[in-house]
Parts: sequence; structure tokens; C-alpha cells
Amino acid sequence: MTASDVYVAIVFYATAITMVVGGIGMVLSRNMIRSAMLLILALGGVAVMYVLLSADFLAIAQLLVYVGAIMILMLFAIMLTPNQVDLPGGSPQAQRISAALTSLAVGGLAIGVVVTNPWKLRSVPLNIETADQIGNMLLSTYVLPFWIASVLLTVGLIGAIVIAREE
Amino acid sequence: MALAPIGLQHYLVLASMLFGIGMFGALSRSNAVGVLLSIELMLNAVNIMLVAFACFVQPADLNTNLAGQLFAIFIMTVAAAEAAVGLAIVITVYRLRHTIQVDEIDLLKG
Repeated sequence: MTASDVYVAIVFYATAITMVVGGIGMVLSRNMIRSAMLLILALGGVAVMYVLLSADFLAIAQLLVYVGAIMILMLFAIMLTPNQVDLPGGSPQAQRISAALTSLAVGGLAIGVVVTNPWKLRSVPLNIETADQIGNMLLSTYVLPFWIASVLLTVGLIGAIVIAREE
Repeated sequence: MALAPIGLQHYLVLASMLFGIGMFGALSRSNAVGVLLSIELMLNAVNIMLVAFACFVQPADLNTNLAGQLFAIFIMTVAAAEAAVGLAIVITVYRLRHTIQVDEIDLLKG
């Protein structure tokens, strides 16, 4: 292992442990505000992972869109639904047990598949600046999905205003 | 250090764990906003997987070099729209029923 490998490993394991602990705390916390804050921790960790995976544009977009915009939206929704912040009894025990079994089965199956599957790896992992290539692809090969995504965002935002408006 | 260098499988295992955690939250929480928060975690786990594939797996040709990252961008877009509409629905339901516990929202139950 070279020095940069060791550096990447340290950053990866520190971030991964933070994300998993943040995620577990998020699903177990009974306080919605604390839950949202722990999710911000996990989403920030995703941005660090994007940097390690040489996705520079996506890392910035992750910080702007998720940590900056979506989580503020979530905090507003928590704020606008008072008396729901602390859950009274939580969900019934049977539901929690079956949820734990289902998610353990799905997660375990996914881990088994990704570890045993023989992936066709690149000889050299991706290591380029991505922003200009992503821009070119969005306006050439992927221009139709790009348009549809724009229309979807517009429709979604107008729909959200119409649904949430006071009559 | 005896550990292997960080490779594709490290990222995929981490993403699978986060997906399982998010799934547990989505299935077990009784607060609708909590369910939406857990779904965001699941979407991000899938995004990590896609970006890891873009980084490590051999593409079919140079045109699909960054396809995984583009998929992640589109997932982000859809997640933003989904969060906006979902939270608008949650706020409207709260205004009508004064609760957002998912097992108490049973207007359509026969």
C-alpha cells in the first residue's frame, strides 16, 4: 500500500463509521429534529465518498441539493407539524421486529451479492475532472432525460405549492 | 498495514448497509416525515453504488464512461421533486387530520 492508499483508507473508514452510526441513530432516534441532524451527518459523509470516488461535481451538488436544500425542507416540515416531534409510543413491537428482519434480509442479500459477484474492473480507476464531461453529456447524449427532469422539477414544485396552499 | 486498499467492494458493502438501515427506518417509523427521511438515506445508498460503479467498473465504451454519475444526478433530481411533493402532502394531511402518524391516516380504509 502506498501513502495515498493509507490516506484514502483512513478517510474511508472514518467516514463510513460516521455514516453508519449516523444512519442507525437517525432511524432509532425518537426526536425528529435529532433524526434530521443525524441524517445531515450521513448525507455529508456521502459527499466525502463522492470525493474519494473522483466525482467532484457530484460532491458539490450533494452538499448543495441534499444538505443545503432538501434537509432545510425537511426541517421546515418538522417545524410545521407541531406536537409530532416526540413520538408517543413509537410503532408497535411486532412491526419493528418484522421491519428489522426484512431490512436485515435485504441488506445481507445485497452484501452477499456485491462481495461474491465477479466485477469487470478497470485497470486504472476513474481519475479525471468530471464537471465538463458531465455538462457535455447532459446536453448531447442525455438531452432528453435532462429535459424530462427539468419538466419533472417544475411540475413537482408547482404541484407542491398547489397541494400545500391554504384554501 | 494488512488491510487491502479501498476498492469497489468496500463502497458497495457500505452502500448495502446504509440501504438496509434506511429500509428499517422506512418500515418501522410511525412519523411520515421520518419515513421520508429514511427514504432519502436509501436513495443516497444507491447513489454511492452508482458512482462507485462509474469509478471502478470497466465501461462498454468511452461514451458510457460517466454514465453512473449521470444516473446519480438524475436520482438527485427526482429525489428533490419527491421530497417537495411528499412534504407538501404531509403538511396538508396534518392540516386536515392534525396527525402525521402513518397508522392513523386511514381515510381510505373500508
